Amino acid sequence: MTRGGILTGTAAIALLVGVVVLAGGPIASAQSKKEVPLDTKGEASERPWKRYAGWPTRDESKYNTLGNLATPPAPKQPRKITGPITGDAKKGAELAADRNRGGSCLACHVMGPAGGANLPGNVAPDLSEIGNAGREDEWLFNYIYDARVYNPDTVMPPWGSHGFFNDQDINDMVAFLKTLKSPAAFKTTLDDPTKRPPPVEKRDNLDPIENPGMWAVDKAQELWKQKSSIGFSCNTCHSDPQTTFKTWAASMPKWEPRLNKVLGVEEFVTRHAKATTGANWLMETDDNLAMSVYLRFLANGTPIQVDTSSAEAKAAIERGKELSHRKVGQLNMACTDCHGIVANHWIRGQWLGEPKGQYDHFPTWRTSLLKVWDIRQRFQWCQVNIRADELPPDAKEYGDLELYLASQNEGLKLSVPGIRH
Amino acid sequence: MAEKPRLKIPKEAKKGEVIEIKTLLPHVMESGQRKDKDGKPIARKIINKFACEFNGKPVFTANMEPAIAANPYIQFHAKVEESGTFKFTWTDDDGTVTTAEEKITVS
Amino acid sequence: MRQLSRRDALVLGASGAALTVTGWSARASAAAKEAAEQIDKFTGGKTAEKGKVSIELPEIAENGNTVPLSVTVDAPMTADNYVSEILVVADGNPNPGVATFHLSPLAGKAEASTRIRLATTQNIIAVAKTSKGEFFTNQKLVKVTIGGCGG
Repeated sequence: MTRGGILTGTAAIALLVGVVVLAGGPIASAQSKKEVPLDTKGEASERPWKRYAGWPTRDESKYNTLGNLATPPAPKQPRKITGPITGDAKKGAELAADRNRGGSCLACHVMGPAGGANLPGNVAPDLSEIGNAGREDEWLFNYIYDARVYNPDTVMPPWGSHGFFNDQDINDMVAFLKTLKSPAAFKTTLDDPTKRPPPVEKRDNLDPIENPGMWAVDKAQELWKQKSSIGFSCNTCHSDPQTTFKTWAASMPKWEPRLNKVLGVEEFVTRHAKATTGANWLMETDDNLAMSVYLRFLANGTPIQVDTSSAEAKAAIERGKELSHRKVGQLNMACTDCHGIVANHWIRGQWLGEPKGQYDHFPTWRTSLLKVWDIRQRFQWCQVNIRADELPPDAKEYGDLELYLASQNEGLKLSVPGIRH
Repeated sequence: MAEKPRLKIPKEAKKGEVIEIKTLLPHVMESGQRKDKDGKPIARKIINKFACEFNGKPVFTANMEPAIAANPYIQFHAKVEESGTFKFTWTDDDGTVTTAEEKITVS
Repeated sequence: MRQLSRRDALVLGASGAALTVTGWSARASAAAKEAAEQIDKFTGGKTAEKGKVSIELPEIAENGNTVPLSVTVDAPMTADNYVSEILVVADGNPNPGVATFHLSPLAGKAEASTRIRLATTQNIIAVAKTSKGEFFTNQKLVKVTIGGCGG
């Protein structure tokens, strides 16, 4: 009946008839127990999963990912520092601004003249006068080395114990901190994160001239009618997508019992296409992204409303919530650090948003990369940025996380494709 | 499955009206500054000229450098005194010319 | 002396293609010098008068890859007196030239908008030429942010 997941001959026709009936209205609801065809055998993304070319190539397997626990435990005690710390304050200032060493202190802290006070962030306290704060050298050293010994819930990465800086580096930075005794002198008010106005997205993301992402809609409309090698297209069964899919995407992602995981739109497209037309639209390919944009575009204006009441959905959301709290990567951060504890602050020149409002515009055109990104690629990039190994896009953990994120965006209306940095 | 140029231009206008025209062309606008993963420079390939004519007369032209962002967007105005046809041309470094036309009724 | 960081390379090259690292202030002044030369060539050596030209740009560009720019010249567009050309240069880009717009009286309004690439925080300078041979100019500073967190 099936050959490698692709239906042939009479099986295909039987399926075709069944699906056409399914899509047909009142009769369909009586028969709605018939399952949507999905390829359940293959993977939905490239295997083995290879990190994108141009992304940092670090191997972070020593640290937690969303799929694996590996991070060594935090030290229990601060390190004893005997005698005053001497270091090169000038070198310390350079290290504080060095973005190649994990983001640099200025991503989160204003630090007087470091980095020319050029658009520092305010995720964390302004350290411009810490030299007057009466802090012991040992405290300063350990806060940089591994702040968890003072605050187990800290957002501060463990710069020493996770190998970003050696003891001499930290001594130099402590020496620099001890020189900080007056407020930063900003060249413009925009450099001062306390005075910088939060960004407001004013672009009309659905204007095809404003948003190159809208070309994905055109592309999807062509793909919709494109006949596969076995002579079928989406259009064969779904000849009126504007009506049929007017709200569908707003109900995704959803638990799929046949795969024992949460399925997002992108993975659904891969598996459904494979099982019907035979089209090979792996996740994060251009074709898949176009279809994912289009299926949401058709449901634009519909409030997000995902199943949160079934037992499976509840369990998935609970797992997603836990995953969002897990510290991952060499930088030892959780989703809830940036998008919870320190949301609505500046990390350098970028505003950290809350989870609500972070989902309704995906997939989005990214102006910095000239590409459409779906939510799974967004997850992957966040992880790589905090120096954690990413998972393949169809990882079940990402499904749980996406359902949790969708549940936090309930009621917000889809507006896809988005346009963002 | 090539992406089409986008044009935003009114279909009708009054005589003497100054209308706004917006254009967007899909194009990578390879600046010539980038290097591939082996360190070799990626050759420059941009749209270096955009021109708009109305009924054969020049209205607006842009000579563009690699600093124009990918998917070049150009917005400008035109004063219409009569009905006719706007013709838009985009010229690639390699000589390829992409054209588009839009008619307007002026009363 | 700040070196051209990987962040700057990312902006110039997207997708991780790297630029060679060179001394920062040498590059900055070379770009500004070339920008001035391009303006000089455009005006034939004349000094452009500050005014009439307004430049619309975000104060902070979310990235350097696509920054919306609008230049408007408060000057007539009649057959015997119109803005014939607008030069735009970026004084901090490796190649400062951005665009030259040519207008006829049929343009009706001396305005042009586009989206530009900026390698770093810098000034955008616009110079307008009229059919009568006058030159007007203005400039605006744009702060270009390059990423937020480590990546």
